[in-house]
Amino acid sequence: MRRKGLFLICALVASALSAGAYAQSEMRFCLSSQPKTFNPLAVDDDASETIRYLTGGVLIRLDRNTQQPVGELATAWRINKAGDAISFTLRPNVRFSDGTPFSATDVAFTVERLMDPDLHSPTGDSFRSTPGKVATKITDPYHLTITFPGPVIGLDRLFDQVAIISAQSPQKYMAVLGPYYVADNKAGSTLLLKRNPNYWKHDSAGRQLPYIDSIRLDIQQNRDRELLRLTRGEIDLVNSLNAESFDLLKGQAPSMAFDAGVSLDSEQIWFNQVPTSPLPDYKKAWFTSTHFRRAVSSAIHRDDIARLVFHGYAQPAVSLISPANKIWFNQKLKPHAYDVKLALRELELDGFRLQGDTLRDRTGHAVEFSVITNAGNKDRERMASVIQQDLRAIGIRLNIVTLDFPSLIERITRSFNYESCLLGFVNDELDPNAQMSVWLSSADNHQWNPNQKQPATAWETEIDRLMREQASSLDPAKRKRDIDRVQQLVWEQEPFIYLVNKHALSAVSPNLRNAHPVGLRPQVYWNIEQLAFATQPRRPQ
Amino acid sequence: MSSSPIDAAASQALLITRTKSHHAPSHSATSVPSGRAAAKRIGAAAVALCARLVVLLLIGGFLCATLVRYSPGYGVSEEELDSRLNAESREALKAQNNDGGLLNFYVGYWNRLLHGDLGTARSLQAPVTELIRQRSPETLTSAATGVLIGWGLGLPLAIAAVMTRSAAIKLSANLLASSMLCIPAGVLALLCILWQVPGRLVLGLVVLPKVFEYSRKLLARSAAMPHVITATAKGVTPTRILLRHIIAPALPQLIALGGISISLVFAAAIPVEVVCDIPGLGQLAWNAALGRDLNLLVIITLMLTAITLLANSVADLFGGRKPLEAA
Repeated sequence: MRRKGLFLICALVASALSAGAYAQSEMRFCLSSQPKTFNPLAVDDDASETIRYLTGGVLIRLDRNTQQPVGELATAWRINKAGDAISFTLRPNVRFSDGTPFSATDVAFTVERLMDPDLHSPTGDSFRSTPGKVATKITDPYHLTITFPGPVIGLDRLFDQVAIISAQSPQKYMAVLGPYYVADNKAGSTLLLKRNPNYWKHDSAGRQLPYIDSIRLDIQQNRDRELLRLTRGEIDLVNSLNAESFDLLKGQAPSMAFDAGVSLDSEQIWFNQVPTSPLPDYKKAWFTSTHFRRAVSSAIHRDDIARLVFHGYAQPAVSLISPANKIWFNQKLKPHAYDVKLALRELELDGFRLQGDTLRDRTGHAVEFSVITNAGNKDRERMASVIQQDLRAIGIRLNIVTLDFPSLIERITRSFNYESCLLGFVNDELDPNAQMSVWLSSADNHQWNPNQKQPATAWETEIDRLMREQASSLDPAKRKRDIDRVQQLVWEQEPFIYLVNKHALSAVSPNLRNAHPVGLRPQVYWNIEQLAFATQPRRPQ
Repeated sequence: MSSSPIDAAASQALLITRTKSHHAPSHSATSVPSGRAAAKRIGAAAVALCARLVVLLLIGGFLCATLVRYSPGYGVSEEELDSRLNAESREALKAQNNDGGLLNFYVGYWNRLLHGDLGTARSLQAPVTELIRQRSPETLTSAATGVLIGWGLGLPLAIAAVMTRSAAIKLSANLLASSMLCIPAGVLALLCILWQVPGRLVLGLVVLPKVFEYSRKLLARSAAMPHVITATAKGVTPTRILLRHIIAPALPQLIALGGISISLVFAAAIPVEVVCDIPGLGQLAWNAALGRDLNLLVIITLMLTAITLLANSVADLFGGRKPLEAA
């Protein structure tokens, strides 16, 4: 009896030891904040978007490398001639992470929830081009057609953001079709994602993807600490690095630093042109003058900004679309050159004159204004300093004011109590139709002069017309012509003075295989299911 | 502990000194209050404490709500700049951020609070109760660690500085405490990151100089009293002198200092948790401030006010009699 007991204990110990010897592969990286939601349809922040990308199964995925849509849960799709309906053929024998089978009912349920007007999600709003209801028709468990009340531009690409949720699973939206599922959430500290046992993708050798068993996401608000943790081997990647950190890393561990080239994001400065703003009339006159804006633009040395602020990891920007957008960028346009003489000539056309080292307008007011930007963003603070130096050369005195983000948003959207603003725009969408709310003069996000009842200028009238025409046209060539013209008008009138397009900089542990960072989000883990470790990393405790 | 004749002589000297110098109130030596009167007094003190707590919580909460409500950037959210949102969604977002005025908010807030509903944190879209429950253990652990380290290092250093004749020890203790006093908590937290040391140790280093400075002064004052000199002259052992004639008279003030150190660690927890990414109440308070999250900020303020008040009241209760001050 005693021998049997001893044998049993030995067997248990041996089994425990062997279980411990098999190390599960775990990738770690950081999120800058706690995801606000795990509901993929209600996502409106970066952290939640990361979780959606890693866990959500989509019908169509936009290949971040080729910028072309590829089928995922949909094996085929077809958009009708009117551009208001899309028919899908779904992948058979797919199950959610909890084992619930996937069918056309789930897609219909997802679309119905997504288009709920009370949800107010950015993803849902992207599909809302015309008022009215969306209809879904299920032909059989693997075929369905979704009909929208009007044509939706870039309809198939928009499905890249739509993670399908289950209509039947008791886990509701926590049952997923993507490579991972949320296994544990310690609020404010860590999130653990585990490999979806029912994930449908396999590699060429027939092995189920993803290769990495789990992902641990540490909530890390202090971005400076992220790089330190990477070099210590505590995390495996940093998805987005600033130029200074990237330069530092390149000096210390060049094999970890990845520059994916110019990104879709832009940095720009604009003047407050709101007629009802609490600014003196003479300043309003400066800011609404195209000559004044062009002069300021010509006096800014964009190459210096790229070199000094971004350590060469940025390039002078041209207009609203970054050169990284291979489809929509207007190749004929070039960045505005640094030209102080041209700037002074433009100013003279509006009656400005340089007296000593001070520029004065026709009524004798010294030209001095402030620029607001968000506090804590070192790059923007440095950009503002470079611009301050540049404008001194044409006699303009620039005062830099840094504000925390809520205060800044209040000024640019509510009180309009600011003179100029330096900010960046993050672009996730390739199709410029997603920028409708920026370019229509009646829109809220038409930052320099929002919510106009009638366009204030002829060129804004033309932009309104072009944007509306491209939004209702299904002819790609016509849309390209319209968008090219919009880019040209913005380049000429400079309501936004585009400064630079930053590079997409990231850092990846050399131990992580198959990582090919790209310019589009998510830069490093866009091919998450293909990522693998060369050897299982040893973590400091 | 039995009292030796020499101790008794020293205690007598202490009593004489007090009586001579400050005419100590007669009730402390002569009249002993009855049990009923003492209970009455404790009851009255408890009622006064509760009343003070309620009044201060109401005032503190209202001040916090007023400051946040009228701070620039209140009621706006970053999502408003999302170009994918249509006009209706943006309006809905704005309406969601509109609380209908300060008084409306505050009355509604207390009404909900009294029904046990702390509301939802707007910035994190999560119930405040859940956030507090998740974050409290981290901060309480940090605070306890901080107080223990601060007192564990500060008091022995102060004793060493008072009792020793070595100038080197005095200088080292002073230097260490002064350095900790000069370096901001945020910088200490950064050093912790660089040296891979747990960030909560910083809280101990924040408490240390305060404990050292105040307790050194208190103990030095005790040590300089005539009865201690008498005891020393009569050959009482240094340990006995320290425990009975130096620390004991300073105990009420040391307990009061304990209350202050609790307030100190909670205040220092904010920068330390932010820099070191510790998911506690300090980090939550910081995020709430950045996001102008009124619900969350008011409850954190109320909690901190209550903790500070309770710590100080408990310190008052145990250290209410102040023989050293009287001396």
